[in-house]
Amino acid sequence: MASIFALPDVGEGLTEAEILSWHVTPGDTVTVNQIIVDIETAKAAVELPSPYAGVVSELFVEPGATVAVGTPIIAIETGAEPAGATGPAPAGAIGEEGPSGRITTLVGYGPRTATVARRPRTAAPASPPAAAAAGPGLAPLAKPPVRKLAKELGVDLRTVSGSAAGGVITREDVERAAHVVDNGGAGSAAWSGPESGLDSGRGSSAGQHRETVRGVRKATAAAVVASAFTAPHVTMFLTVDVTPMMELRARLVAQAQFRDIKLSPLAFAARAVCLASRRTPEVNASWDEATGEIVYFDYVHLGIAAATPRGLVVPKIRNADRMALRDLAVALDELAVSAREGRTAPADMLGGTITITNIGVFGIDTGTPILNPGESAILALGTIRDMPWVVDGAVVARKVCQLALSVDHRVVDGQQGSQFLAHIGTLLSDPAQAITF
Amino acid sequence: MAGTDAPQMITLAKGLNQGLRAAMEADRKVLVMGEDVGRLGGVFRITDGLQKDFGEQRVFDTPLGESGIIGTAVGLAVRGYRPVCEIQFDGFVFPGFDQIVSQLAKLHYRSQGKLPMPVVVRIPHGGGIGAVEHHSESPESYFAHTPGLKVVACANPVDAYWMIQQAIACDDPVIFFEPKRRYWDKAPLDLATTPLPLFCSRVLRSGTTATVATYGPTVRTVLDAATVAEQDGHTLEVIDLRTLSPLDLAPVFDSVRRTGRLICVSEAPSEVSVTSEVAARVSQECFYSLAAPVLRVTGFNTPYPPAKCEEDYLPDLDRVLDAVDRVLAY
Repeated sequence: MASIFALPDVGEGLTEAEILSWHVTPGDTVTVNQIIVDIETAKAAVELPSPYAGVVSELFVEPGATVAVGTPIIAIETGAEPAGATGPAPAGAIGEEGPSGRITTLVGYGPRTATVARRPRTAAPASPPAAAAAGPGLAPLAKPPVRKLAKELGVDLRTVSGSAAGGVITREDVERAAHVVDNGGAGSAAWSGPESGLDSGRGSSAGQHRETVRGVRKATAAAVVASAFTAPHVTMFLTVDVTPMMELRARLVAQAQFRDIKLSPLAFAARAVCLASRRTPEVNASWDEATGEIVYFDYVHLGIAAATPRGLVVPKIRNADRMALRDLAVALDELAVSAREGRTAPADMLGGTITITNIGVFGIDTGTPILNPGESAILALGTIRDMPWVVDGAVVARKVCQLALSVDHRVVDGQQGSQFLAHIGTLLSDPAQAITF
Repeated sequence: MAGTDAPQMITLAKGLNQGLRAAMEADRKVLVMGEDVGRLGGVFRITDGLQKDFGEQRVFDTPLGESGIIGTAVGLAVRGYRPVCEIQFDGFVFPGFDQIVSQLAKLHYRSQGKLPMPVVVRIPHGGGIGAVEHHSESPESYFAHTPGLKVVACANPVDAYWMIQQAIACDDPVIFFEPKRRYWDKAPLDLATTPLPLFCSRVLRSGTTATVATYGPTVRTVLDAATVAEQDGHTLEVIDLRTLSPLDLAPVFDSVRRTGRLICVSEAPSEVSVTSEVAARVSQECFYSLAAPVLRVTGFNTPYPPAKCEEDYLPDLDRVLDAVDRVLAY
């Protein structure tokens, strides 16, 4: 029985080879692995060993001819019964490299011996799969080392908005949030009052200098932009004679329960806002774009915009509507001290429902405040001045104050805003009316 | 073998053969049994020459019945022998699976510690030799899941020589996986060096870009990938797990704490596998160090394909490098 040996692929994917010279002629006896032919491929000239032992019966290809891989080139009379292409190899060849570049095994084609080269690389860089959605009620998105950093820096990831694709919170986001905490608060800005200088990141050139926007300034900017270009603002004004309020204040501070308490006009305004919001619930509400709902709050978490040496922050007085005037005054004083000393906790700056900004402390009459994002109303309290005022047809000097109310017009109509502002005016100009609220 | 000789180049197959020989010389209770292990010397010639030198009483051919091979070995172990069973191919082990899981793994426990089971079950595993069905599987997870069994996988000639002797010396049953397509890989064996203990993983290559943990036939694949990755400026830390049950993951944890990224490579399908276990444990132990999810490069969750398709199934250098790109993209 003659075994036919076909030209093997001696390299990686070679398709043809030239027969250079035969080492055997018909009639020669050959052994396994004896060199029988020289061939030249596109890569190199190589010698081919015989896979069979026996007597050469025929050479099919003349030297100089180029033949395709798989073309029979020699027949060897082995004297054995015909064997299939994957039949058992001679026992002595197990573990030896065969002519096909594979190691001979009893089962299978055998493993390749050639080193595997890498394929050409694709130009496009790998990109990670898109992050899961970020949103309220879902765990914040951040890599584990970023979570660790946040934990170490005391940053609550739920309060940080992620800057990476998909809202993923980065290390830089956490560091920025931590910087804000250090600086006394992650403020959502309601009023762009005078700013103290930022303490670092300065660069200067002739006649100008540059400061890197960071910390409270950056948070403030983001918040006012988000608010100003999301909520349609309407601002209305009211000038009121607060002389009765100031007289009441003078009487109260003489009483034992108000001794040692700083009872400011702001405390009266805060109380007035709480009382008046009961009659106009739209001002103590929030526009929820995501759900298409307006959220009405049963409580008042009153934000107080406070200028601090490090920037504007808006800490909250929780459940301010349940506080009597004295408690409000105490809370306002504590809040002011904390803010000034930079001790305002991040949690104290979240979840407000309505805000007062006391621009009067700067001697300013009025302005057009920008809403705290998510809230529907903000009241600016101007400075209290002695002004000519007509009382019973006569011009007299009175304590006069201007109020400015900005509302989110999606939630609050002009009628409701006007009513709310009028009620505040009534309460400040005639505090006894509070008994009717 | 003399211990003073200069290092000799041996194949992994030869390392196993010489390791078996050394174990049989050291302990007369060591027996070798299996299909065609005697006169033929095994289809991969791992037991070549052993019957000639140690006789038909210690090296003997069994009928084609894996259940009987393991059951016989259990009985021999009860009587104080240390049988080394050869399962001819990975896909042939399942007729013996009941004996392994129900008897071999449990007798020591069932006898309240009175009957140790010093049995080694050698299984050539993995594909890449162009073989037919049942000849290219990676069943290691089945055994690693079973309490009472030790499971190890050697990946190079030196480990093959030492690990087979250590497995035979172990009083617990050891399922010993051999990377069949690496049987003919060569390495210098220096008998003067002290071998690593059996149940230890080993860092083969240091790097800082990412950690790649693997075992068995893909160790060389990963080492090749690490070499190529240098062209991209990446240094891969390569860890050969070596022991799959118990897993020795402390070096993996240490490495991931430095690199922040782990790729786990195996030929076995990924679902509920050794690589799953490594991923879970690393996620638990190294959570705050992980800059990317643990990625796995494995065979697919399909039956092992026909030989002509197997190179698309097996994890190769390019798939490892792709995973490196992916962990770096996070």
